[in-house]
Amino acid sequence: MEEQDWVYSDVVKDHFLNPRNYLMGDESKFDYDAVGLVGNPICGDQMRMYIKVVGGVITDVRWKTYGCASAIASTSALSELAKGKTLDEALKIDAKMIDDYLGKLPKHKFHCSVLGHDALRDAIEKYRTKK
Amino acid sequence: MVYLDYAGTVPMLPEVIEIMHNAERDFFANASALHTPGHRAMNEVEKTRKLLAKLIGADPEEIIFTSGASEANNTVIRTFEGYEIETSPLEHHSIIEVAKQYRGNKKPKLYSYMLANNETGDILELPKIDRTKFDDSPLLTALNEWGKPLVTDRRKEYLHSDLTQVLGKMPINVKVLGVDYATFSAHKIGGPIGVGALYVKKGVPFKPLIIGGNQEQKRRGGTYNTVGIIGFGKALEVMSVRKSWDVYDNVIRNLRDTLAERILTEVSGSSLNTELARGKSLPNILNVSFLASEGESIQLYLDAEGVVVSTGSACASGDIRPSHVLMAKTGNAEVAHSSVRFSFGPENTMEDVKRVMEVLPRIINLLQNISTIKMEKK
Repeated sequence: MEEQDWVYSDVVKDHFLNPRNYLMGDESKFDYDAVGLVGNPICGDQMRMYIKVVGGVITDVRWKTYGCASAIASTSALSELAKGKTLDEALKIDAKMIDDYLGKLPKHKFHCSVLGHDALRDAIEKYRTKK
Repeated sequence: MVYLDYAGTVPMLPEVIEIMHNAERDFFANASALHTPGHRAMNEVEKTRKLLAKLIGADPEEIIFTSGASEANNTVIRTFEGYEIETSPLEHHSIIEVAKQYRGNKKPKLYSYMLANNETGDILELPKIDRTKFDDSPLLTALNEWGKPLVTDRRKEYLHSDLTQVLGKMPINVKVLGVDYATFSAHKIGGPIGVGALYVKKGVPFKPLIIGGNQEQKRRGGTYNTVGIIGFGKALEVMSVRKSWDVYDNVIRNLRDTLAERILTEVSGSSLNTELARGKSLPNILNVSFLASEGESIQLYLDAEGVVVSTGSACASGDIRPSHVLMAKTGNAEVAHSSVRFSFGPENTMEDVKRVMEVLPRIINLLQNISTIKMEKK
């Protein structure tokens, strides 16, 4: 197989081709405490973040994404960034941190596809309201 | 690699590469020059012009070479700057965006309708235009600013058709189609990128886009792209010797239809954006949407498996809007974002269809399973 030559960095490519922590199929398969949502399929990108919280720490994360390669890769990267963080630390994760982690996305991709952190914030807020 | 983006570009034919390689050496001179090497180059340019004219039922002097289809389209629309222009919603951006910027409300009116769409392959019905004579209006002379060819064919309405995708896939006769202007591109038939042609019927309004040279009878300034035009000529020759439209209609249609049938049976949530019936679409284009899966992701997962396709998803184009063609056709942004175009060419075989079906169901299944959009239980 020829090596792919894409507009994306190797890290983005890796997270797209081998996404981490995704939730396959029915969401009941993951025992989560809260779920957050961002985006809209009409715009081409939508993400859900599912969090498991123990003692104020996100011990496990799963996600679902409808979207392009950078949407999938950035949600996968976010899931790695969020795992093991306290809720307050996780709230500080922003688009720039995800972009840095991925080794920079193409500019025109950054604004439309790095949205997952808002889904994570939504999940954290819902978790805190529930308590 | 399984290449299924022939509607994007057709790889240059080996015959074309060879002739262009030799032409770089043999026909290097400026074709406008009157010396021997210049005249030799001009003879080659004229050879291609005659061949294209013959293949589309036109006269050689009705053909103008351009840098490609976009320039040809721009030229026609800009000729009618300030005049009424009606386009089909499926036109290429080099029609739609230019018309948006330059249309006015003067008459005569220009219609621009492509015969076949590049994304879905759908064949459109060209509008019936009013061919009654126009009054002796001074407006028409204003349409010819450089070189001032006479407008002898004064009408209320004129018709342009972008035939970029049609060339080679169906026999073309501009007289039978009843068009006044038509656009062609070399790289859609195995010629080089950077060469196109515009058919302009004798006597109709015309305003050059590139002014400042006497080339193309003052209708398009700029040194002749001799080598590119020679390559275009070779591609036209191969097309006509092989009767490529018969190959497309029989062999390639069968590949396209087999893939369509297998996708519909083997991939859940798939729906066709191309009408397969003969006469309804070009035989080589298949546009499909996959529920809950986004086009760019499908495209790149396929690319990682060595299968090359294109998509109407916004993400892939660097735009925030998905394909205007699929929006016009389906009215559904989700369907447009989830669309993939498979376009076949003469090099494809049934093995390629098999290879697509080895990898596609697994890719769609993964994307649907990690998607936020729920699949309806069947």
